[in-house]
Amino acid sequence: MNALLTTSVGSFPKPEYLTRARTKASKGELSPDGLRTLEEKATSEWIRFQEEIGIDILVDGEQYRGDMATYFAENIDGTEISGLVRSYGNRYYKKPIIVDELRRRGPISVDWFTFAQAQTKRPVKGMITGPYTMMDWSFDEYYGSRADACFAFAKLLHDEAVALEAAGAKVVQVDEPALSTRFDELPLLVKAVGIVTKGLKAKTVLHTCYGNYNEIFDYFNKLPVDQLDLEMSNSGLDLLDRFKREPLKKEIAFGVVDVHSHVIEPESLIRERIEKALTIFSPSKLLIDPDCGLKTRSVDEARIKLRNMVAAAHAVRTAHGLT
Amino acid sequence: MVRTTVVGTYPRIGETSEEQALRRGIARLDRGEIVEAELQAIERDTVRQVLREQNEIGIDLVTDGQISWYDSQSHFAGKLTSVETNGLVRYFDTNTYYRQPVVHGAVAWKAPVLADDWKFAQANSKVPVKAVLTGPVTLASLALDKHYRSKKALALDLATAVGEEVGSLVQAGASNVQIDEPILTRYPGDLTLVSEALERIRSHKARSTLTLFTFFGDVAAIYKDLGDAPADILGLDLVQGSATWPVLAKHGSTKPLVLGLIDARNTREEDPAAIAKKALELKGAVDLKASYLSPSNGLEFLPRDRARRKLQILRTAAQKAGVGA
Ligand SMILES: [Zn+2]
Repeated sequence: MNALLTTSVGSFPKPEYLTRARTKASKGELSPDGLRTLEEKATSEWIRFQEEIGIDILVDGEQYRGDMATYFAENIDGTEISGLVRSYGNRYYKKPIIVDELRRRGPISVDWFTFAQAQTKRPVKGMITGPYTMMDWSFDEYYGSRADACFAFAKLLHDEAVALEAAGAKVVQVDEPALSTRFDELPLLVKAVGIVTKGLKAKTVLHTCYGNYNEIFDYFNKLPVDQLDLEMSNSGLDLLDRFKREPLKKEIAFGVVDVHSHVIEPESLIRERIEKALTIFSPSKLLIDPDCGLKTRSVDEARIKLRNMVAAAHAVRTAHGLT
Repeated sequence: MVRTTVVGTYPRIGETSEEQALRRGIARLDRGEIVEAELQAIERDTVRQVLREQNEIGIDLVTDGQISWYDSQSHFAGKLTSVETNGLVRYFDTNTYYRQPVVHGAVAWKAPVLADDWKFAQANSKVPVKAVLTGPVTLASLALDKHYRSKKALALDLATAVGEEVGSLVQAGASNVQIDEPILTRYPGDLTLVSEALERIRSHKARSTLTLFTFFGDVAAIYKDLGDAPADILGLDLVQGSATWPVLAKHGSTKPLVLGLIDARNTREEDPAAIAKKALELKGAVDLKASYLSPSNGLEFLPRDRARRKLQILRTAAQKAGVGA
């Protein structure tokens, strides 16, 4: 079956035992191997959960990552990691600092992809933090030009994408949450993502969120990927009218669950959102997922949100005879 | 010697356990382990730290770091009549987010929002503490307006509210008030509205010095008219807004300036001598003795240790500029 496939954006919350273990490890009270064992345990649990509720395209849940840019930077030569910087509220993250020429020292996320894919017959997405976001979220003490830093990331991330594909990834997702940061730099982003996805046979996806979509709409069809993954429940349902007038020439993964709210959307509400999307997109080109990574929710909240999402997608499939 | 100041925000937490008290406190409040009053005490300890760091480095005009602000928009706007706060929206081109104020009806000022914090900060600083407010046009532009359907109408009512707030700050003793209008770097055409709004604020300023600050970009296109805006001092981001520099160097300024020459969005360290040299290029065109050197915008986009380092560079640059002035 190939209609209304369900998937996830990337991150899932970490179970409490893993959060505690990470704190211990950061203080040197737990060995890297000890931490790794627990990260693998949490990853396996999330894979099993996704299978159990019937998600079609899985993610590894990013149990081994702190921040998406920092995790990649830690595995790239030419970077250091800064102290904590605030994102919003009480959330802080460490930013990469580019201090030298950027070089890929080896696989970044391939091992985790391989670990996760080995646990399931369903496809697991390979995940790449995009070159524009890596550049925008890093301090730069070396290149002195946003474009130069961005292309340097793009070149090494292309090698990572090729390695993911070689490891068996059927889907490679490029995360660009920074996409809508500076509209005048959208051509730079298109070029840089194009470098990453060039020549890949895997299905390519671009995820973004928090966008002023009206400003970036004209670029949707120019993005060098097969599928766009957009936050729709939080800010984008208004966008549907525009898609009606100016059709998307790609697949769309349609966010139907707000990841920033404790409120659990009932299945009926999610069904309505999917039905709305179906008035614009054909079911074979429409995937259903949450708005963004679920890592800021509790494990229980994330599980219920995902369960309701899958149940809603299945109900809509049945109602439309898509099973 | 050119004086030094900061723009507004300061990193809330640093790398040491003591410097992370506020983060722990908020987490404990969220878990119900402490009450609001206990968190406020922790906030005030953090404000003391922030003031001590600025005092020790020798900054001439400091701020409380806006430590108690959730963000630049909702902290003030969220406390006005007919305003609620909604979901997170990206703040300009930064990787930070603000809770978007949603305007449901006519906005009006209810009670002082910042005066207590200002009084506390001034009591804990050796030098004057500048009161900083987000300007009405930026507030109006970044809010979700479901009532006025007119940015101008909303901005002018917000200006009345900001004016009341400035009045309460001045009454509390503030002698330096800064209004931030970063929106001018995105919509230079808003200058007329900014000026009209500032007129409403100026009537409350009494003898205090009123600074209009723009950051996150340049104001080259409106630089000449900016000088006519009803403010005593103009603050300029000359890093991300480096395009303002040639116009500034050419035309000078009849008003004192805050020269935002230190990059507050990147960790790369400037050479203080080069910064001093740059400032001195304005000798004769700008009254440098009445002006300030500063970071290009608030310091919260840097880790705490790097923010301190930037302030040291700023201070050294100001001293070096003094030798040539
Ligand atoms: Zn996202």
